[in-house]
Amino acid sequence: MGQAIHSNLRIADAQSAYVITLPTQLRQDAQALKLRFGFKTILDGSPEVSPGLCRLWYRAAAREQVAVKESSKGHVMTDFHPNALCFGDEFPAGGSPCLVHVEAQGFTIAFTVDGGQEQAEVVPFSRVTVSAGGLDHDQLVLQWAGPAGQRTLYLKNPEIIHAFRQAAPAHLNEPLERAAQQVRQVRKRHRMVWGLVGGSFLALVLGLWFGSDLLVELAVDRIPIEWEQKLGESAYRDFLAQHETVNDGPSVNAITEMAQRLARHVPNNPYTFEVTVVKSDVVNAFALPGGYIVVFTGLMKKATSSEEVAGVLAHELNHVLQRHGLERIVKQLGFVAVVSIVLGNSPGLGGVMKQLGVELMTLKFGRAQETEADLSGLQLLHRAKIDPNGMITFFERLAEKDGSRVEWLSTHPMSSARADRLKAQLAEMPRQDPEPFTFEWMKVQASLG
Amino acid sequence: MKSEILYPGAFPMVRVELAEGEHIKAESGAMVACSPTIDIESKMEGGFLGALSRKFLTGEKFFFQTLRASRGSGEALLAPTVPGEIVVLELDGVNEYMVQKDGFLAGADGITIDSQMQSMTRGLLGGEGFFILKMSGKGMLVLNSFGAIHKIELKPDQDYIVDNSHLVAWSATTTYNIEKATSGWVASFTSGEGFVCRFRGPGIVYIQSRNPRGFGAWVRQFIPISE
Ligand SMILES: [Zn+2]
Repeated sequence: MGQAIHSNLRIADAQSAYVITLPTQLRQDAQALKLRFGFKTILDGSPEVSPGLCRLWYRAAAREQVAVKESSKGHVMTDFHPNALCFGDEFPAGGSPCLVHVEAQGFTIAFTVDGGQEQAEVVPFSRVTVSAGGLDHDQLVLQWAGPAGQRTLYLKNPEIIHAFRQAAPAHLNEPLERAAQQVRQVRKRHRMVWGLVGGSFLALVLGLWFGSDLLVELAVDRIPIEWEQKLGESAYRDFLAQHETVNDGPSVNAITEMAQRLARHVPNNPYTFEVTVVKSDVVNAFALPGGYIVVFTGLMKKATSSEEVAGVLAHELNHVLQRHGLERIVKQLGFVAVVSIVLGNSPGLGGVMKQLGVELMTLKFGRAQETEADLSGLQLLHRAKIDPNGMITFFERLAEKDGSRVEWLSTHPMSSARADRLKAQLAEMPRQDPEPFTFEWMKVQASLG
Repeated sequence: MKSEILYPGAFPMVRVELAEGEHIKAESGAMVACSPTIDIESKMEGGFLGALSRKFLTGEKFFFQTLRASRGSGEALLAPTVPGEIVVLELDGVNEYMVQKDGFLAGADGITIDSQMQSMTRGLLGGEGFFILKMSGKGMLVLNSFGAIHKIELKPDQDYIVDNSHLVAWSATTTYNIEKATSGWVASFTSGEGFVCRFRGPGIVYIQSRNPRGFGAWVRQFIPISE
């Protein structure tokens, strides 16, 4: 790209870094210049040349009274680091990167060079007007009419701004002070808003720590459904891997039909429910966060009608819809744990994961959550035109001791208050004629053996 | 590091060539294909809390992926999620760009990504939220848009008005104020898109020819609502 103009003093444009090749004995002087001019590194390098920058270097060397001897040998390479942006009619709209150097009577401004054309000028303080600019009014804007037209210079490098303020004459003090005032105001405002945001965040964290329900809800609201699905799915797959499932037949068809009918009557349902029938005599059914539902054959055998099973499903579905599982997890493991589980790259994840597996499998909800799932489950049954009486009678019947292992009871303790609440709720709802399912419950049960 | 835009237009991809040891930050999910010499790391820029706060405060994707040519040189193909143009900017250490949250596709190692806070009015009315991404440093920056990217060049003190949902990126030397497009505040609030940004140069503003929110609203009318 560049072209050689001198055997010992050469400058190159290697991609975005400029390379200056200098005689060895000038390295120390080059170091001194580097500090003044923002050149970054000085190293040995391969010689390639860009003449405009070379002249810039010559001028810099002359001003610093560095003798550049042509006969010397060796290489010095530097990066060229512009420290300001200059705007003007013939410059690109994004501004032209340049090097600004503040001196006693003004400043010099030198441009990185394209195609070898050199541009540099000395601007006396007397010609300059000063203001604050940029998106946050935190940049120092210098404007003047140069020989080639109107110039606008944006400074944001603190050292250059400091040097400018130090060297500027009295007539610039007032506008400089005004600009500084603006910057301080912007910073203060930022600090205030940041404080507000930080404070709210802290409050949220502290709230989680002490288990405030409202804040748990707020945090849960912000967890995307996909994360919840990931959480539930891993536990669901783990569970299914350890149990024998029923993969087809009347029982699977019946459960699927019930779940689909219920899901259809959930307004704005973001979940896709997945249902599996597990072969086990234990009387149980549960729903994992994200919409993964497991029904044990034991529970289906115990039910005398499809409405009874649908009642349990409606209850479990509502644990999912109300995101109860997520609430419990957030409350017990903390929000950060949820994040690290989903993203799977946090140290100590194994422990958290184990804890989570246990947590999900023994999802023992709070009383308020159970009541919520009961009542909204009842309403869902009603909307889906499934007789809600089945739900109530089944819950009551499950509580009767008959020697079978009713695990569902251990997570859903039956009380007369619970049944009464459901009955009262049911009494308030308008009567309607239930629509039957397409299957016969007796046949479904018979298929279970 | 070299880049090339393939299939310019609505469905472009960008090919990035990495020398051994070089790496690039990309929006998570941007990687389409890459050489076997390239390792993909999900690195959280700014640490865990930084990433977390960015996720919840800007709605930005939680991760940036780091594509690292750790086992020799190679190339990676990157593409955005939405149909639209890709533009490659070269930052030289002095110019900085503010980028709205969906506009970032990839950046060279030398690019620093910060979440920056906007002023109250810009945050409330600008439609970009309180935080936007600030890109500084040195190297290649790849932006993507919804629709075509249009570059607006502003001279010092030149004004231009942009609908806020069409913004992609703008240089930090510009300033902007939120203004209402229609007369009357009530009309502004009820019409939904009553706010525009009045930019003032110098600097560059990149806008996208399609409005994601407008498109979303248009699509929504064809989606049957259950019950
Ligand atoms: Zn329950």
